[in-house]
Amino acid sequence: MVKNSGPYELLSDVIHKDLCIGCGACIDLCPYFKSYKGKTAMLFPCTFSEGKCFAYCPKVELDLDELSRHCFEAPYSADPLGHYHSIEISKAGREMGGTQFQAGGTVSAIMSFALKKGYLDGAVLTGREGLLPVPCFVTQPEEVLKCATSKYTAAPTVSALNRAIQDGYEAIGIVATPCQAQAIALMRSSRLDENDCIDPVHFVVGLFCTWSLDFRAFEDFIEERTGTESIAKVDIPPPPAEIMEVYLANGAKLEMPLDEIRKLTPESCSYCFDMTAEFSDISVGVLEGRPDMNTLIIRTERGQKLVREAVDEGYLIVDGIPEDAMEHLTWASENKKKRALKKAGDAGMINTPDAEKRSMVRLRGEILERIMVASQGCE
Amino acid sequence: MSYLINGEAGSSHLLMGNEAIVRGALEGGVSVATGYPGTPSSEIVESLAGVAKERNLYVEWSVNEKVALEVAAAASFAGLRSMCVMKQNGVNVTSDFLLHLASSGTRGGMVLVSCDDPGALSSVNEGESRLFAKMVEIPLLEPGDFQEAKDITKWAFELSEEIRNLVMIRSVTRMSHASGNVRYGKLPDGKAHAQFDFHGSLLDQEKGPMISMVVSAAELQHGPQQEKLRKAAGIFEECPFNTYNGPERPELLIVTSSACNLYSREAIKALNLEKKAGVLKLATTWPLPRNVIKRHFALTDRIMIVEEVLPTLEENIKVLAAEMAPEIGIKTFYGKRSGHIPSVGEMNPDLVIGALSSVLGLKRKSMPEAFAGKARKLAETVVPKREMTFCPGCPHRASYWSIHNAIEMDNRKGFVCGDIGCYTLGMLPCGFSTLKTVHSMGSGSGIASGFGKLTQFGMDQPVVAVCGDSLFFLAAMHAMAIAVLQTSPFSLVSLDNSGTAMTGFQAHPGIAANAMGEEMPALDIAEICRAMGARVEKADPFDLEGTRKALNEMMEHREGAKVLILQQACALSPQRKGRKSYEMEIDEEMCLGEECGCNRICTRIFGCPGIVWNREKGVSTIDELICTGCGVCADICPQGAIKRREAE
Repeated sequence: MVKNSGPYELLSDVIHKDLCIGCGACIDLCPYFKSYKGKTAMLFPCTFSEGKCFAYCPKVELDLDELSRHCFEAPYSADPLGHYHSIEISKAGREMGGTQFQAGGTVSAIMSFALKKGYLDGAVLTGREGLLPVPCFVTQPEEVLKCATSKYTAAPTVSALNRAIQDGYEAIGIVATPCQAQAIALMRSSRLDENDCIDPVHFVVGLFCTWSLDFRAFEDFIEERTGTESIAKVDIPPPPAEIMEVYLANGAKLEMPLDEIRKLTPESCSYCFDMTAEFSDISVGVLEGRPDMNTLIIRTERGQKLVREAVDEGYLIVDGIPEDAMEHLTWASENKKKRALKKAGDAGMINTPDAEKRSMVRLRGEILERIMVASQGCE
Repeated sequence: MSYLINGEAGSSHLLMGNEAIVRGALEGGVSVATGYPGTPSSEIVESLAGVAKERNLYVEWSVNEKVALEVAAAASFAGLRSMCVMKQNGVNVTSDFLLHLASSGTRGGMVLVSCDDPGALSSVNEGESRLFAKMVEIPLLEPGDFQEAKDITKWAFELSEEIRNLVMIRSVTRMSHASGNVRYGKLPDGKAHAQFDFHGSLLDQEKGPMISMVVSAAELQHGPQQEKLRKAAGIFEECPFNTYNGPERPELLIVTSSACNLYSREAIKALNLEKKAGVLKLATTWPLPRNVIKRHFALTDRIMIVEEVLPTLEENIKVLAAEMAPEIGIKTFYGKRSGHIPSVGEMNPDLVIGALSSVLGLKRKSMPEAFAGKARKLAETVVPKREMTFCPGCPHRASYWSIHNAIEMDNRKGFVCGDIGCYTLGMLPCGFSTLKTVHSMGSGSGIASGFGKLTQFGMDQPVVAVCGDSLFFLAAMHAMAIAVLQTSPFSLVSLDNSGTAMTGFQAHPGIAANAMGEEMPALDIAEICRAMGARVEKADPFDLEGTRKALNEMMEHREGAKVLILQQACALSPQRKGRKSYEMEIDEEMCLGEECGCNRICTRIFGCPGIVWNREKGVSTIDELICTGCGVCADICPQGAIKRREAE
């Protein structure tokens, strides 16, 4: 069992070390932590030596075995794609109408379906105000589409889950980035273990993520190039385009080289070893070379059941994943994992002795070794 | 205030020192009185305003001390007797005009009253105004008791007319705010008539233009000015307010002035030193009466100077003593430079007793060490710790909450520059330690404007200034002008509590009434700032989230100076006092108390005295007697346990 700590440790070990990505896990649990423009701030000192804020933070003392056992009843493995049942490709089915999606529309289809079927009494999504991604809680299937389209900066989405739980919702679905999914997994396996007889999180749809952007840096970058014109949509077409497309409200379209955009990635993302949102029920991402389809990783029974039902009822269309796509996905995920764990290891942030200092992440030594060895020669 | 104008000549009244000064001014026939509020001086102008109608006075709370002195000077130039009143800091503000006025001289008797605050009981410094008298070469008078406070003020007008220059009176907190018996004199009859004559020659102070013009002709104006001071020195030799009390040949002579006169006399009495020590109390402390001092110094070889803060009197006396040494011999001095009298803080009888005991080798200490130690220990353990805090329902607490949160959430190491007023407390936990610079009145805005221009040196921290409504007119307005012109990207938050609240709701240009209670068209801070070209927003500080958002939004704009006006009257103001907007209640079931998710944010952080932590129950409760019903705490509570209900 990992030792829980409190807000001061969260401040010193995460926020002051620039490890905080602003997932929102500590937001709206109490009056002390607030999120603004992608950054987490502690407003006032809290004197507790233990708190939910620390317990739910995915950037400190993240024990992968503990989490994996809780989510999958299996220890954490060295598989680059995490624990899963099957990997497929998918897109929105006929029941979703002719909506144009940024990729295959799988996420919107699944969430709409689950809401329509009444499996969920609400869904935590991420909407957008201008460039700024904002947490969003919806209860109607039609509302899901308002939150479609990708966001490229981190959002405190988990805070909306905190609020929904306080408001008494009992079957909540959530669409989460890998860091957010880790936070939700931590909440569900809470180290505090206080009166959580019902798990209000019904299921988690994880999103593939290779990096996000620092909001203020991104905002400045875009503003320098677009002036005051408001942004209608931002897109990164699948490789090998290597550009970000920014559509302005006046109809103009700007293309920005990804090389320049990547410089705006916060430090925190370079420590992230989880590309495919391993701690979710299903994970969804783009499919290389097929802008109309998603990659779909089914990780749990619950995820499996939901996908099958959605397919049966015409919300989702699935197909087998091509071999080269599978290879590429594995390679990319493995690579990110290796890079991040190497960096964290070099910085002394993995498996530190308890008494010495807190780790960013903990995993069995043999697994760590296998990850590092397996990926040699990649890159 | 009627007791200030109704008493018969010869009747005795218990008056506060400041009231004694007022009575003196009235007996002296003052017609025009001006000032800027500041503790411990404020009661003087206020009391004069209270009798303005009956005594046909013009009384003005000016926009700042410099303008106050200018307005009073005009009256003197037109032949009226006038008075200008301020606290010690005000003399710094007015010093530029003061220097010029002292050079041009005055016509009608004109008195500058400065009330200093040794110990900084109501100030952020214990600055000295006495040095100004020496610097600008005008006479300085210091009353040594309450009767003198009245008599010297009356006399000051006569002196001013005799030497044709401004006379300065210096009081201190304990002289201004303590009370004593004062025997009244006669109030003058007759109407004052104002006319400004200017047809005489440039250098004719009686009939010519009033011009301060020493330009490469020092002897024409500066010389005569110094002659006036020599004339005053001559008059001071016979001044009845310089008194000696003590034996014919004292073992130790105390030279003192002002409130220290009372402390010295008390100390001598407490130590039964009446036969050993004498007190030369000087009322005319600049220029010093040379012969009076010589006469008394000849009586003894040991001299102790008792005064507050700087060794001003001590040093001036030592210059004279050095000059007189061939005639009166070498003296031994005790005072601040010898370490017998502290140079910091207020004096009191105990300190004088300590100094006397040490100089005269007496065993008696001012307080037995065992007793002092025990008292200290008890004070530490038994007396609950009380930090300074805002009043319950104070809009500043709400404003600082939102400002603090906006700065923290903005997350770019922003900071707030503050200045003087109740809101100075913003540097302490009661204001969430929000202020990072505090200096003189209105200076936060200028400093913030300066920080804003450091972007070319790589500084990218957002800068905010706070400023009260009165100080906006006093000084911040000028800072705003340059900030707008230079497009300094800072945000000025105007903490508008509708009055000069800290000193007692005196009028200022933003209030629709003047010092004498007459209705006036108020100036609008928002309109003034807009006219200057600043972007202006308004918010209600009791709307915490709205205020926080407005400021966050403002800090995002880097294009120039911006103003956020937070308007909500002071909780002690006549319009809010005794009136509750809401009845507050805490649902004990809902209160999380010390649990994770709250950790007593209302009582531990927000700190309004109207909410009390009930340790036994582990919940917060409203103290109905103290709560002013502003309703703000309901929005602090993460649980919604603090409920507000519209008050009937």
